[in-house]
Amino acid sequence: MLYTIVPYDDIFSETDSIANRQEITIGGVIMQIEPGEGNLGKISRLISTNPQDYLNPRYQPGTIVFFTE
Amino acid sequence: MIQVNMPQNEQTTQSNLQNIRQLGQMNLPDGALPFHVLPIIGQVEGHMVLPPRNKTTKYEHVIPQLVAIEQNPRIKGLLIILNTVGGDIEAGLAIAEMIRTMSKPTVSLVLGGGHSIGTPIAVAADYSYICETATMTIHPVRLTGMVIGVPQTYDYLDKMQERILRFIVENSRIPMEQLREMMFRTGELVRDVGTVLIGEDAVRCGLIDQIGGLGDAIERLQSFIMNPHLVRKNTFRPLPQPGFYN
Repeated sequence: MLYTIVPYDDIFSETDSIANRQEITIGGVIMQIEPGEGNLGKISRLISTNPQDYLNPRYQPGTIVFFTE
Repeated sequence: MIQVNMPQNEQTTQSNLQNIRQLGQMNLPDGALPFHVLPIIGQVEGHMVLPPRNKTTKYEHVIPQLVAIEQNPRIKGLLIILNTVGGDIEAGLAIAEMIRTMSKPTVSLVLGGGHSIGTPIAVAADYSYICETATMTIHPVRLTGMVIGVPQTYDYLDKMQERILRFIVENSRIPMEQLREMMFRTGELVRDVGTVLIGEDAVRCGLIDQIGGLGDAIERLQSFIMNPHLVRKNTFRPLPQPGFYN
């Protein structure tokens, strides 16, 4: 049950598709990536509470990472 | 102060060197921050996975993170940053309850928006800030047809609403009558009942403790970490009044 200012029609509209995101963990940090060719993916978002992770140059959004399934 | 230890193995050293060579960029030293930061952004996602076009903060990420922060002796406090449009009631209240019952100092900062279910999360912290331009919307829980597995009655909606109102009142300085009045006020929102609080308004009505920004919030958290006796843990629990839940 939702308590939000966004109308339900906006939340559940399926009009535009957005690139699918996959969740992986690298070095203990959960991140969302946009899977590319092979096992390469582009980091789109970090999900961490450690502020230092966001300063790590290897985890910057847009960085291409190699991941294993 | 805590030290965030990163494995300094050969691979890391090599990538550091590569970074310097290729980008002229030096890796930043491992930080020594004693606290962690929990961003609550977009929709708070709970029992139902929302379509991918929604930017969400997921319950299954936040809950284990909060447990880890509570358990890790090197983390001394938590800063919660809110910019949310609301979301799942159960998930929002669960997150708020976890923040309230943490033994470590917590400070929240509302940036942009802390609407709907963001309000209990904001007040759950030991001390709350809102920046001058941020807004918070207080409005009724609506009948929407999205209740899962629960008979959707007016009574049920009312109980859900009471849970939220009660949590907010118990964890802030706002009186129940005023909060309820704001929730059902007419003339503030277009085509809807409710109230929009902008920065100072949220402080004046007692919902949020102070106007401030990132610097203020971090300073407050640091002072809580250095002087734990300054933290007033929310322990106010009024006895249920007769007829409170009808």
